[in-house]
Amino acid sequence: MAASPDATGTRPANVLRKAVVIGGNRIPFARANGAYTQASNQDMLTAALDGLVARFGLQDERIGEVAAGAVLKHSRDFNLTREAVIGSALSPETPAYDLQQACATGLETVVGLANKIKLGQIDSAIAGGVDSASDAPIAVSEGLRAVLLELHRAKTVQQKLTTLAKLRPKDLAPNAPDTAEPRTGLSMGEHQALTTAAWNVTREAQDELSLASHRNLAAAYERGFFDDLMTPYRGLAKDSNLRADTTLEKLAKLQPVFGKNLGAEATMTAGNSTPLTDGASAVLIGSEEYARSNDLPVLAEVVDSEAAAVDFVHGKEGLLMAPAYAVPRLLARQGLTFADFDFFEIHEAFAGTVLCHMAAWESEEFCRNKLGLQKPLGAIDRTRLNVNGSSLATGHPFAATGGRLVATLAKMLREKTDAESRPTRGLISVCAAGGMGVVAILEAN
Amino acid sequence: MSEVILGEMPTLSRLYLTAASTAARHKLGVGQQADQLPAVRHTVDGVHIAPERVSGFQQLMHGTVRDTLPSVFLHSVAFPVVMSVMTRPDFPLPLLGMVHLANRVNHLRPVHFAEPLTVTAWAEGLRGHHAGTQVELHTRIEAGGETVWEGVSDYLAKAVYLPGLDKALRPERTDFIPPQPTARWRLGPEAGREYAGVSGDFNPIHLSAVSAKMLGLKRSIAHGMYLASRVLTSVEATASEPFAWRIDFAAPVFLPATVAVRIHDTERDGSWEASEFTGWGERSHRLHFTGSVNTLAG
Repeated sequence: MAASPDATGTRPANVLRKAVVIGGNRIPFARANGAYTQASNQDMLTAALDGLVARFGLQDERIGEVAAGAVLKHSRDFNLTREAVIGSALSPETPAYDLQQACATGLETVVGLANKIKLGQIDSAIAGGVDSASDAPIAVSEGLRAVLLELHRAKTVQQKLTTLAKLRPKDLAPNAPDTAEPRTGLSMGEHQALTTAAWNVTREAQDELSLASHRNLAAAYERGFFDDLMTPYRGLAKDSNLRADTTLEKLAKLQPVFGKNLGAEATMTAGNSTPLTDGASAVLIGSEEYARSNDLPVLAEVVDSEAAAVDFVHGKEGLLMAPAYAVPRLLARQGLTFADFDFFEIHEAFAGTVLCHMAAWESEEFCRNKLGLQKPLGAIDRTRLNVNGSSLATGHPFAATGGRLVATLAKMLREKTDAESRPTRGLISVCAAGGMGVVAILEAN
Repeated sequence: MSEVILGEMPTLSRLYLTAASTAARHKLGVGQQADQLPAVRHTVDGVHIAPERVSGFQQLMHGTVRDTLPSVFLHSVAFPVVMSVMTRPDFPLPLLGMVHLANRVNHLRPVHFAEPLTVTAWAEGLRGHHAGTQVELHTRIEAGGETVWEGVSDYLAKAVYLPGLDKALRPERTDFIPPQPTARWRLGPEAGREYAGVSGDFNPIHLSAVSAKMLGLKRSIAHGMYLASRVLTSVEATASEPFAWRIDFAAPVFLPATVAVRIHDTERDGSWEASEFTGWGERSHRLHFTGSVNTLAG
């Protein structure tokens, strides 16, 4: 039985085959409480899927598997991705699963599905992610929840009354999600403020990175780069966070918002930190044969990936520093150096995050003591970094960022390979809550 | 020392009432104030722990509901026995208004919640303090015939000076400069009451602003053992028994409060060896407590 082919003729392969990015689609990202206020995670994910279906002619097609996720998730959305698939133009016989790895969710769906394709378990897949900070779940307080659950268990009227008597006025206040790390009580911005100060990253350096992100994104829109990567939604055709006309002077005027009570000088502002954002993204991946037989383009291959986590709880390492460990491990496994990459897509959770990672890779001390390397990895060529803008300009709907990065980088690699008739390579790096990071390599041939 | 076996775990609320009436009688000049510690140990045998009580404690501390008992939970289990010593008519210091200065504990092995415990408490080390008189309350918890937990709490009776005890010199004040925090605790006005709910220690200074004012405080204050337990919960994933911990209290934490905390772990040969900790007011920059947790293994 094990060797018999299924209805589509897919067979497990002994030799790994390639998984390639065919294309991507996202809805423009909207600042929270803006254009997508009335749209749920399921609505936005469906919109991103339908745009992808329309672009690649996937109507009624049974895709091997769809994986997506959301970081801020309602309990009713236990099957968010499958529900979005049922509501989309894809075949209702397309299976789906939800994944959650904080801000690395989107990239991890690409990695997991690419691995299934490489193993021959599926031929095609859609990876994605969505998040809404506007339509965030609000839960009842722990006190009310405990009473309601106990009420459910109570059998007699007497027991029910005794249970109800435990309710206190403060129990009626709801719990809204926040960005505080559960084990430290510090927000992600405050954690990054500690790391930013520890690495002596200046306000000016952060503002410059932010300015570059906005300018690069504006230029990418200008030359139509996103025309085949985006579907307008709810009246929005561009990321609403983009400030094409921002300047260093404007950025320098903003007051610090994070790290004001942490002792060191506060350098992180709303201008060099990502805002809360709503949005969704989806990436179509498949085997080379799938792309060829369906007359679909091949943008880039998903080569390899590495996840890392750091011990941040008592400050041994910064909360968002895991990519600084994941990247060197991935480079070592692939036998590569920074000079081997044409593009770097480092997710801009905060400008300070990107600058701390790069400072760590340039630091002899960090590379020797923390990574066990004889010499530092070296500097990243800034002209290859986030060249079409990144999260500081687009905004960051947590789980949707991975799909944006993969589709953007895959298209950049294809363009460069076609223009220069040579293979190209790019690196994606995403930090995540809980002290995690996921990084991946894409190549175009 | 003589031994007194108590038939059952004393009730804390009753002991607080005893303490209040003793205080009132002393104010009226009734009753003889002793000037030495009673040479007696109080013991309660066969102490059983309800699992719900442990769960409630673990949840309040943001900890994991485990089958083994948190170190500070064991302190709260033993506390009524300690109180029974401190409310004896021949105990020389007034219980109400006493200041908790420090705690030192050796937690010698994991204790399962279903193990029956024997709790013994006594007082030692009556001595002068620059602000009054200081005393050590000792606690020993045994399970299966061995000591599993032993602790010493230092208390200060402010402005009480007993004959024959020299007043200690006031130690030099050192300025506190806050280090980089690793955590922030937001403690609401209910933090004291919530700890009373899981620890059984309904000391009025922790319950509400009104009850605290009756005892001369401007607002209610967080229980020192709550603060200690929050820290210990944060290291429970790495610190395994046997370990020793201590906490020294500085300025009280008036509720509500935002406490900044730094916990710094040190390793030896790749294994956890110790965690040093400091807590201070995030905005006031006043030092609230310092302490450490150290492995007692090999």
